[in-house]
Amino acid sequence: MVVLEQVHRKLGPGVAFACERFHAPEGAQMALWGPSGCGKSTMLNLISGLLRPHAGVIRVDGTEIQKLSESALDAFRGERYGFIFQTFNLLAPFSALNNVLIGMRFSDVIPEKEWKERSKAMLERVNLGHRLHAKPATLSVGERQRVAIARALVNRPRLIVADEPTGSLDPKTANAVMTLLLELCAEEKVTLLLVTHDRGIADRLPDLFDCSGLVKEVAS
Amino acid sequence: MSLWHIAWSYLWNRKLTTVMTVISVALGVALISAVLTLREQTQKRFEEEGQAFDLVVGAKGNPLQLVLSTVYFLDAPVGNIARADMEKIAKMDDVTAAFPIGMGDTYKGYRIIGTVRELMDFKWGGRHPYALASGNYWTKPYEAVIGAGVAQDTGLKVGGTFTGMHGFVQGGGAEEHAEKPYTVVGIMALSGTPNDRAIFCDIASVWDVHEHPADAAGGADAHEHHASDEVTAALVKLATPALRFEFKDKINKGYNVMAAVPVMEIQKLYDQLLGTAKAVLLAIGYLVVVISSMSILIGLYMAILQRRRDLAIMRALGATRGEIFGAVLIEAFWVTLLGLAAGWALGALTCRVLGLYLATKLGFHIAAVSLSADLITAYSAVLLMGLIAGILPAWQAYRTDIARDLAEP
Repeated sequence: MVVLEQVHRKLGPGVAFACERFHAPEGAQMALWGPSGCGKSTMLNLISGLLRPHAGVIRVDGTEIQKLSESALDAFRGERYGFIFQTFNLLAPFSALNNVLIGMRFSDVIPEKEWKERSKAMLERVNLGHRLHAKPATLSVGERQRVAIARALVNRPRLIVADEPTGSLDPKTANAVMTLLLELCAEEKVTLLLVTHDRGIADRLPDLFDCSGLVKEVAS
Repeated sequence: MSLWHIAWSYLWNRKLTTVMTVISVALGVALISAVLTLREQTQKRFEEEGQAFDLVVGAKGNPLQLVLSTVYFLDAPVGNIARADMEKIAKMDDVTAAFPIGMGDTYKGYRIIGTVRELMDFKWGGRHPYALASGNYWTKPYEAVIGAGVAQDTGLKVGGTFTGMHGFVQGGGAEEHAEKPYTVVGIMALSGTPNDRAIFCDIASVWDVHEHPADAAGGADAHEHHASDEVTAALVKLATPALRFEFKDKINKGYNVMAAVPVMEIQKLYDQLLGTAKAVLLAIGYLVVVISSMSILIGLYMAILQRRRDLAIMRALGATRGEIFGAVLIEAFWVTLLGLAAGWALGALTCRVLGLYLATKLGFHIAAVSLSADLITAYSAVLLMGLIAGILPAWQAYRTDIARDLAEP
């Protein structure tokens, strides 16, 4: 599903990301684990096309994404990926329903006539059917992350990339959110790549990739 | 969920800033709207009235003053001309009508216009601006027909009487012709013309009221000068408007009078005097709009800086750079459009209020709402300026660095 080969990216003077080989099979639920600054978020950004590699191959769902043009990459990202962030990244002006709906707005995966019903169904699935019209500011942090999970999954993505999704949550809420995320990814048969520095969270996933040493000092 | 909806939601999310920006655009648009509408409408009405008669003939002097005093009852008359001259002009070939006008008195500021009964039957352009609403036209001296505005303002009714004051300036010191009262025999229908604020009577009344006792008693100079030897002016209708300039020259050269073409004088007034005022006011209006555009630019730019993360999220969700650029430009469009709509309404309200004032002062009823080519051009220019103001913030949004903006705390 996701393959990295000889991927190299300069990050600054004398610092670079380098990954010889990485492979996450279809349907995998894999933690990208490592200490802060080891390169796990950079790796996630490269996999999701938010950063371009300076060398190497990044293959996602059979497509070498480093070869895609800017607009093709936008479209690819809209169709294949779901994003979950540490700080939820909900859009403040929109209700929970519209935050989820906007997850389908920029791709053609789901027909427009189904947007509203599918958004409602996803919010009900994450137990937020009663907060459809609530703005993010009025939601608890746990509720916000559940909206973000609904948004990531609503477009039937092939891959979920989650960057420290429990980083802003208390342990009890984090546990509940992780349970929900793993259940939903399994139900939807979506590959999950989850960045975390928390070994306890990482160990809840069946697969683990140790990102230690991905960012190295290099001769400038 | 369209880009229009997304743009609107972000504007709504910062209501106060949006409303302030909309108001600033609206003020500029209102000023431009009001200036253009009032200018266009008043000129149109002036010219419409000016078209009623082909020429105005009066004493030599300022042709604009002659036109304003005789056609619009606005300025003081230039002086008198010999009645004999007017009668000769009336007999010229291609002169289809020449109506004498005698002025000298007012009642509560409204002019008493002495003329001939035939003027009351005068129609042009399918209109009859002398039509009666009640009563009858005069049949003898000292019977008067009053305009609708005069009736409304003074409370005079058919059968009521009044006396004229000598001169055109209201206030103390004027001579009142108390011994020669007029009786109202008719009230004109509201015409939206200067006639609404005029009082018409037989010209013999005006002559008689200004006849000096010494003249009537056969004094030393009684044979040399009678009020009835003169008229203030004459309104002339020609066989065709194409003859206006030819007749103007003929009359000016052949008689001791001055002929003026009303429409031409009004156009000169607008082009020379009011043209400058219009240009100054328009410049102020456009300056306000330019400043408003700057506030759109700054407002949007600041908003984009504040929501770089939101833009990055949308990009991560699959939005293209073009869609992000478009959404921001649409925000600028919304603000400008709302400013235009509010400004148009405010401008129409201003025109309505000033229109009521003009109706009182000039007797002109102007439309508060109009859509001239000048206005369409102005509104298009405002919209364009608003969109241009949106380009820089839109470009800033277009250049969103997704990874960096998502990583920022």
